[in-house]
Amino acid sequence: MGVFDTLGISASGLLAHRKWLDAVSDNIANINTATSTSQSAFKERFVEAQAVDYGSGEGGVRVATAQFGSGEGRVVYEPKNPLADKNGYVRYPDIDLGDQMAQLIMAQRGYQANLSVIDRATKTYQAALQLGKG
Amino acid sequence: MTSPISALGFMSSFPTSGVGADMSVGTTTAVPAAQGAGGTDFASVLASSLDGLQATQSKADGLALQAATGDLKDVHDYMIASNEASLATQMTVAIKNKAVDAFNQIMGMPV
Repeated sequence: MGVFDTLGISASGLLAHRKWLDAVSDNIANINTATSTSQSAFKERFVEAQAVDYGSGEGGVRVATAQFGSGEGRVVYEPKNPLADKNGYVRYPDIDLGDQMAQLIMAQRGYQANLSVIDRATKTYQAALQLGKG
Repeated sequence: MTSPISALGFMSSFPTSGVGADMSVGTTTAVPAAQGAGGTDFASVLASSLDGLQATQSKADGLALQAATGDLKDVHDYMIASNEASLATQMTVAIKNKAVDAFNQIMGMPV
């Protein structure tokens, strides 16, 4: 525990949201990744956030683990695709771009909110250090 | 009638009266009560504060080096570390200034 604990707690929030952004960008990057039907499709990435007990003297949040969605995906008829099976089907990941964009906004706003907390906390600490100088 | 010197004895009950004593002005013998009353003496507070400042600044320096070499994983890590180092410096300087002010006020006291 230090004097400027708020900064560390907000840093953990920033890290968690950065990892969420990574997961979303991974999902969007692979949204058109086709695989053959004999293989599993790209699995959607999820981050599992977990609160850190403030009683432990830390507080904040951490990404406990990364979870993966279904590898089943959706089967699309693309006979010209080199990966197509003998019936002309390939497998695409079943990721909803709209859902990913919504998550992107949430992750971005969460990141910005944590930055705002750091900014405000810094100003607050500085105001406290100015005490008695007025 | 209260003698003006008795005010010195009264002052020793302030926790901050350790300031004068720890800066080895030689008043320690005049007000021995200041030793026991203060709890943690100011010198060790300042020393630990400086140690903390040193640690914070070397952490920020390490992250700045990582940023220069491209090893930095998170941009915010360095920004927060440098922010914290700046805040810790401001706090230490503020504590130091307060202590020096208090010392000067005591030294400027007409006796």
